[in-house]
Amino acid sequence: MTTVVTSVRRDAAKASRRRGGVAPPWLFAVPALIVYALVVLYPALSGAGSAFTDWSGVGAQRSFVGLDNFTQLFHDDQALGALRNTLFLTVAIVVVQNGIGLLLALGVHTGIKSRMALRVIFFAPVVVSPVMVSFLWKYVYNPAPDAGLNAALNAIGLGSLRQDWLGDPSLAIWSVAFTVIWQCAGYSMVIFLAGLEGVPQELHESAMVDGAGTVARFRHITWPLLAPAVTINVMLSTVGGLTLYTQIIAMTNGGPGYATDTLSTVLYKQAFVYGKFGYSTAVALVLAIFVAAVSFIQIGYLRSRETTA
Amino acid sequence: MALDQFVSRRRLLQLMGGAAAVGTLAACGGGNGSSSSSKGQLKVIGVGDQEAGLRKALDDYKKAHSDFDFNLSFAPADQVQTALRTQLAGGNAPDIHVVYPGNGSAMSMAQLSKANLLADLSDQSWTQKIPTGFKGAFQNDGKTYIFSPGSSMLGAIYNKKAFATAGVEPPKTWSELLAVCDKLKKNGIVPIALGAQTPWITQLIDYALVPGTVYAKTPDFDDKMIAGQASFADSGWADAMTKYLELQKKGFFNDNPNGTTYEQATSMVGTGKAAMAVQVSAVLPAFQKAAPSPDDLGMFPFPATDVEADNWIPGGVVVGIAISAKSKKADQARKFFEYLGQPDTVNTWAQAVACVPLYSDGEPKVDPVLKPFLPYLKDNKAVPFMDQRWPNAEVQPTHFAVVQELLGGKTTVQGALKKMDEAYRKPA
Repeated sequence: MTTVVTSVRRDAAKASRRRGGVAPPWLFAVPALIVYALVVLYPALSGAGSAFTDWSGVGAQRSFVGLDNFTQLFHDDQALGALRNTLFLTVAIVVVQNGIGLLLALGVHTGIKSRMALRVIFFAPVVVSPVMVSFLWKYVYNPAPDAGLNAALNAIGLGSLRQDWLGDPSLAIWSVAFTVIWQCAGYSMVIFLAGLEGVPQELHESAMVDGAGTVARFRHITWPLLAPAVTINVMLSTVGGLTLYTQIIAMTNGGPGYATDTLSTVLYKQAFVYGKFGYSTAVALVLAIFVAAVSFIQIGYLRSRETTA
Repeated sequence: MALDQFVSRRRLLQLMGGAAAVGTLAACGGGNGSSSSSKGQLKVIGVGDQEAGLRKALDDYKKAHSDFDFNLSFAPADQVQTALRTQLAGGNAPDIHVVYPGNGSAMSMAQLSKANLLADLSDQSWTQKIPTGFKGAFQNDGKTYIFSPGSSMLGAIYNKKAFATAGVEPPKTWSELLAVCDKLKKNGIVPIALGAQTPWITQLIDYALVPGTVYAKTPDFDDKMIAGQASFADSGWADAMTKYLELQKKGFFNDNPNGTTYEQATSMVGTGKAAMAVQVSAVLPAFQKAAPSPDDLGMFPFPATDVEADNWIPGGVVVGIAISAKSKKADQARKFFEYLGQPDTVNTWAQAVACVPLYSDGEPKVDPVLKPFLPYLKDNKAVPFMDQRWPNAEVQPTHFAVVQELLGGKTTVQGALKKMDEAYRKPA
């Protein structure tokens, strides 16, 4: 009996190796884990200690201040304003970027002749450095009537819509959000495209035979089967939105005033402009915990609605 | 399912190859880490405003000392805060680096010397020649930590052709200034170019007005602020900010100053599209580069009041350099600083960045553009840049932000000054 079981197991293992390959030994991960520990974990944990001090970021002088930095954070108008901006940008980016990404994916998943070229065009901004994209859009947002977007509006007879895109405190955050969405919608599109490729054509054909229209097929077949892609896109854009930094610093530096400050720009300014590294680290810790909590809740919910074909 | 747990041999090899490639690339990138100073070069980092003077001083010194070599780089002021502070925190600061005089900024002499990051220069002979009124910019606890070639004047850099087109002359009182701006505007010329999207530009008009609205009446205003006997909100700062807004309300700035950068404003004045910009004399060379001829541009003290005698000027010690306390080439650096302290070198550097030399043997060589400011210096009517005596690094960026909010209509003068007072009272 034992011989039979062993033989069956050996055969199963052979079959498994033939089918899928070998399980990589965990030892292979050790060099990467060591590097990760040295480059990420050690600095992060040692830096976290600074959140409980009044360290300026330079020099050796520092005193333990307990939870003072955290108490101050929740009474700091600038930080609370930055939190509001961060949440606004995150919601805008998650909803609009993924909405546009989905529409683009559905568009280029059809049989149109130029679909491959369009995929490349829509994805192209993703591979450009965010700093370069920001400078490009800073030029587009030039407030002069004869430059950039304002000039284009003039040219098509919409001169009355000219704006100080980055200089108007009420408008600047929208302008930044648009830039981020413009750059990243192609990324969402690619992930949705991968999801669409996995939707079996037979299901659509069956539904069509049953008389289902385009909207009904999208609602009852495509959308449920896209759930894994939605999970990935929503997760990535949420984390990206909550930690948005590069585009803000390059385009507005958090201004005008504090109109586009996010938690990331506040922690940068506290550390490097105000010379309050301890407080900055407290902001960073709260941000990290907040991002982790949001991601955890989100992934739990989104995973629960995933289905397979 | 298999994808979760198994990787084919081919894929495994591909991944390992990729990792090796990344490792190789990372190793290539790591080559940048080898400091050029290991070859015996002195590593020097400055801000763009210093380039003309600092580069010439280093070049001249190198010509006279064959064993001396340096590696010089510059960064915009905003980036210096990040890059240099990170290097300072990491203990790998350059041998010589930019430092701002006095206090009030995270890269200021007072803040860095308190953290024991700057070498004490008190034994250098030139430190004895620092004028008494400027010592606060150079010294902390009686020790000198910074070299600066002199003082920069803050006033209006103006385009002479634009003024001639409108038939106006540099004004001497606030009312005259408003009249000049009005005439310029009627001639289709933007009276004052303001690139308030660049944070440090936002402060300049306040700095130009406050000597007249605050210090002419209360010369010891800074001492009173430190003692808690005065506040921004209850001082002539309110008058200065109200005048700042008056210029905006009358349409004397370019459209959308909050969306305009320093570079765009510089170009506007250089080309004559705008008539003037309130600026420090140290950036005059940048304006001259933007103009068809350097002679197209002049400077005049920006009047704050209608009483000529009350129109004091801001004249602050210009951004300087210091030796890192941890420099392994401190001896070489100190010899270079002794050379910098010679009156001829001070004069040469000061001329290159359009500032008044710290001291000189005999008559100082001053850029003719600065001559309108010299009587104020002689009459002790020059006030150091305000931030140089602010007690922490938070007041200045708060000032930047509230001015942008004022220009954007998001706050009031009292609201803005209240925020500055709150920042002032925070611990250093």
